[in-house]
Amino acid sequence: MINFISSLPSTTAALDAERTRLEVIAQNIANANTTHGLNGRPYHRQQVGFETVLQRAQAGDGHGQSLAVPRAGRVQEDLRPGRAIYQPGHPDADENGMVELPNVNIYEEMADMIVASRTYEANVAVFKNSRSLAMQALSIGKG
Amino acid sequence: MNPLASIRQLWSAMPTAPADQAGGLGVSIPTAELRALNASQPAGIAAETQPADSSFAGLLGNLVQDVNAKQQLSGQSLRDLQSGQNVSLHQTMITMQEASVSFQLMVEVRNKLLESYQELMRMSV
Repeated sequence: MINFISSLPSTTAALDAERTRLEVIAQNIANANTTHGLNGRPYHRQQVGFETVLQRAQAGDGHGQSLAVPRAGRVQEDLRPGRAIYQPGHPDADENGMVELPNVNIYEEMADMIVASRTYEANVAVFKNSRSLAMQALSIGKG
Repeated sequence: MNPLASIRQLWSAMPTAPADQAGGLGVSIPTAELRALNASQPAGIAAETQPADSSFAGLLGNLVQDVNAKQQLSGQSLRDLQSGQNVSLHQTMITMQEASVSFQLMVEVRNKLLESYQELMRMSV
């Protein structure tokens, strides 16, 4: 199929990757106070690592070049220990009355979220620009 | 009913149209000269730029089919998004924009064709 808008595969892949990152950040913020996670331990902050994958460019002649596009690959747990507070009546308190909190730092997550949404914005700008280039090229035929 | 389907039928009917018109109007189109002109261009470029069906009507048909496919893809993507499938908003928007740009291209080609047809009709014999 003809590709009318240039740089489309890279931009789409980048938008997908940033969206995954935003979802993981949302999960971290949502679980900022979860002291009883799936394994009975406090929630641990997840972080996304991006990786490059080769994607075959869609070309009509069948031998297009490969594009290096980003992908949200591994989601890893942040292993830093969480803060422990003394709260004896808490359901998740240990025998000493200490409760381990998740290692999510809201400020850190907010900063990450700003980075992710700005990157998303930048990729949307790239797409808009390619689209307006295509429309300008089409306007050659007018008048 | 897909509006593009009727246009495609129109295009696919095109190869026979010029001959009918030529016969009806009693005007002979110098097709042999045109073919000679086409043949004179370098073989490499011709082979690269012309897909399977290399006639002009075939090229137009391919273009319209491509545009139709993109429109259908965009509709499918929109339906998937609305029915809660795993499609992201940006993917849908991008496919819709792609379909829109390719449709614009087809409209431009159609305008150009119509313009040249009218130019020919105005020509005094």
